[in-house]
Amino acid sequence: MNLSQVISRSKLQLVLPMLVVGSMLLSACGAADSTATPVPAATATKAAAPAATATTATTGGATATSAPVADTPVPAAGKGIMTISVAQQSTWVRNFNPFSGDFRFPTVNGIYEPMMIYNTVKGELQPWLATKYEWSADNKTLTITLRNDVKWSDGQAFAAKDVAFTFNLFKTTDGLQGPGGQAMNGATAYVDTVAAPSDTSVVFTFKQVFTPGLYDIIAQDIVPEHIWKDIKDPVKSTNENPVGTGPFTEIKQFENQIFEVDKNPNYWQPGKPYFQGMRQPAYTGNDQANLATVNGENDYAANFIPDIEKTFVAKDPANNGYWFPSVGATVMLYLNTTKKPFDDVNVRKAISMAIDRDQIATVAEYGYTKPADVTGLSDAYPNYKVADTSTLGDDWTKLNVDKANQMLDAAGLKKGADGMRTLADGSALTYDINVVTGWSDWVSACQIMAQGMKAIGINATVKPYDFSTWYDKVSKGDFDMSIGWSSGGATPFNYYRGQMSQRSAKAIGESAGEDWQRYVSKAGDDLLTQFAAISDAAKAKDIATKLQQTFASEAPAIPLFPGPSWYEYNNSRFTGWPTKDNPYAVGSWFSQGTPEQLIVMTTVKPK
Amino acid sequence: MRFILRRLGFYIIAAWASLTINFFLPRLIPGDPASTIFASSRGQLRPEQLDQMRAALGLSKEPLLNQYFTYLSHVLRGDFGTSFSAFPAPVTAVIGNGFVWTLLLGGTALIISFILGNVIGIIGSWKRGGLIDNTLPPLLIFIGAFPPFFLALLALYFLAYQFNWFPHLHAYSDTIGTDFNLNFVGSVINHLILPATTIVLVTMGGWVLGMRNTMVGVLAEDYVTMAEAKGLTQRQIMFNYAARNALLPSITAFGIALGFVLSGQILVELIFSYPGLGYLLIKSVTSLDYPLMQALFLMITFAVLGANFIVDILYTRFDPRVRTG
Repeated sequence: MNLSQVISRSKLQLVLPMLVVGSMLLSACGAADSTATPVPAATATKAAAPAATATTATTGGATATSAPVADTPVPAAGKGIMTISVAQQSTWVRNFNPFSGDFRFPTVNGIYEPMMIYNTVKGELQPWLATKYEWSADNKTLTITLRNDVKWSDGQAFAAKDVAFTFNLFKTTDGLQGPGGQAMNGATAYVDTVAAPSDTSVVFTFKQVFTPGLYDIIAQDIVPEHIWKDIKDPVKSTNENPVGTGPFTEIKQFENQIFEVDKNPNYWQPGKPYFQGMRQPAYTGNDQANLATVNGENDYAANFIPDIEKTFVAKDPANNGYWFPSVGATVMLYLNTTKKPFDDVNVRKAISMAIDRDQIATVAEYGYTKPADVTGLSDAYPNYKVADTSTLGDDWTKLNVDKANQMLDAAGLKKGADGMRTLADGSALTYDINVVTGWSDWVSACQIMAQGMKAIGINATVKPYDFSTWYDKVSKGDFDMSIGWSSGGATPFNYYRGQMSQRSAKAIGESAGEDWQRYVSKAGDDLLTQFAAISDAAKAKDIATKLQQTFASEAPAIPLFPGPSWYEYNNSRFTGWPTKDNPYAVGSWFSQGTPEQLIVMTTVKPK
Repeated sequence: MRFILRRLGFYIIAAWASLTINFFLPRLIPGDPASTIFASSRGQLRPEQLDQMRAALGLSKEPLLNQYFTYLSHVLRGDFGTSFSAFPAPVTAVIGNGFVWTLLLGGTALIISFILGNVIGIIGSWKRGGLIDNTLPPLLIFIGAFPPFFLALLALYFLAYQFNWFPHLHAYSDTIGTDFNLNFVGSVINHLILPATTIVLVTMGGWVLGMRNTMVGVLAEDYVTMAEAKGLTQRQIMFNYAARNALLPSITAFGIALGFVLSGQILVELIFSYPGLGYLLIKSVTSLDYPLMQALFLMITFAVLGANFIVDILYTRFDPRVRTG
């Protein structure tokens, strides 16, 4: 996934020239009607020349620069200052509001901190601002105990009232973003009240039993009451000088093209963080960031680099490293189950058996990931995932063209003389596979799938759309086949709810955040309801196994591969990065802030 | 004076038309901004958070026509709203960041390209078939045929990385701060060389060819022969008689080119991570950031109109025939 994936230009190609030509015509008419120039023809050609340049510039398209690079001196950042590339921008806008959409890294889970951190690699909750949590017997009251030695970066003491304030702010203010909003605000809010009976204890009283809510609550970053109670509009505040409990809170420097956040002088973990601060240069895209990373200028980067062994590691094998664990959300092929023949589970499984996942993983994904299995779960669920997926019945995520053809024959999709199948009414099985323009790994995955489907008599064509158009189509159910991501979280609850639950299902034409294939499983929904009502780990695992069984037998969607999480490090100035051999947390930071980055930020040491 | 007033009336109508197009055109793109921003997290945000995002962005459910009039009145008061993609920063703050740098890069490149191109065109046409005339225009047209991003990539790879002669990103060195002193100015110029040269190389051919062709026409005019007969120096004839008249179409084109400064250098800015508006323009379109898109497109159209208005006024000075026309 590179710059061109996030920023595709085809829409610009459409709009910009129209505007440019429009304004040019306006000014050209103006010029023609008034000025009696000696050679008007020349004027016209002259006028057109710069315009043509403008349009070619926009149709240029994405050009990857995975260039080998000569050794160049690294610009001097002070001792202990880490240079990182997490987000991409041409100019930074100063915004450290953790409730807004476009804050600067590391506002969430860096400047501010959550109560607990779910460690994806270890599959456990790690205490952070809180030391423990406890459910009441009826699972309707959650009591969280906080540390008593935490201070805000301005020196004031952190206490339970700050936690209660943060959650109640969500309740009273619309438009704040963060996991706490799901608990407190809107029609689906499940928490009734939040109270702070003592300085170290917070009590959440639920409206109805919903134990997965724990993971929303502990993940919400806490803001100081003594600052935020005076902020008039928390939605629109840009919070230029943040006060937080996190390891990095001091904005040392802020310029358009670079900013530096230094460590919190009052951090509650003694001696930590071990390094002085983090600098973020503005790179306009992956290509620019990768050039700097390959050049040794970045100590840390969370970007996709093609053919990384050759382009990055080989440049400096002693220092350059990466670790792409397959813990990201699983990438799926969605079939619109409201349309024939995709409402037939055997047809869905047959299509899945025509897909060569090994080829997708090695060719489209550069070998950075592996084929998905019939549970659809990535490696992020070691506590829940069935150890041997072959116990879940027929293996419909393995390539098996013969069996796929048999199943389609049995489903009544007859093969014609040309080898292509038709529906019972004679209409041809001709479909588009929707994909996002410029997301090159997905596009080539779709091409591999389209080839596979030809072999079972389905005529599929890869159809790239601009990002917002692609999303509009998939979220409103206006598609036949579409590649897409799935939902993640600390438990499989979110993933399966996004695949087969009434809770996520929307009518065709209505925008849905998940369950784009519009599939509802009665059995799955019952299991999800049970799952949401218990807090016992053994029982949860039991239900999760049944959920995997249900998914494997009903095939609501077709899992392709777990998304790798990108992360590269340079050992020459800092050590202690998480690696394959030392997997203490997922290394990939996310511009919107992943909780585990706090573990890494407080572990890495300068050399 | 009547001429200028008439032109002014035309520009007001053109401005209104562009305001209207800027409002409606972005909204014709399929999709809605909140969903697009939500989707760009690729499943990291929960669907429930989409409603919060809608509430935060304050997306209006009013009929489009009402929104249009609200927009017009806000724009007249200079209020461009809050950017969606850089929420909650106001659009003016987001644009203000990059505006100076885009203007610096585009303006410098345009002026250099204009002056060099025209001088080469004048000299080339004066000695038609001479060395300059035979080599430079074809060469520049050849270079001009390359897309600017291609030249920029070559320059970035060879001059900035392989030979390490020039910096490869940003508008000034990251380590010197923004205090305005000689050190800073030097750094800015050093960072400007590669992107500006790329744009100059690509755009210069047009100026050379245009000027040369106009000059060829003008040189055949009777008053040039007359000037020669009067025994004026070659230099006087070349610049004061021929070039002054031949320059008029170039000035019109200069006005228009000024307006294309922003749109013409998007990819060059991207490639050199130059902190201009190019990246913003692309981001605003892909993330359906209506307020930012409107403001940027408005800037482009107004720059074109404004530059042309100035050119119109200048014309009355250069060409007396216009004043009476």
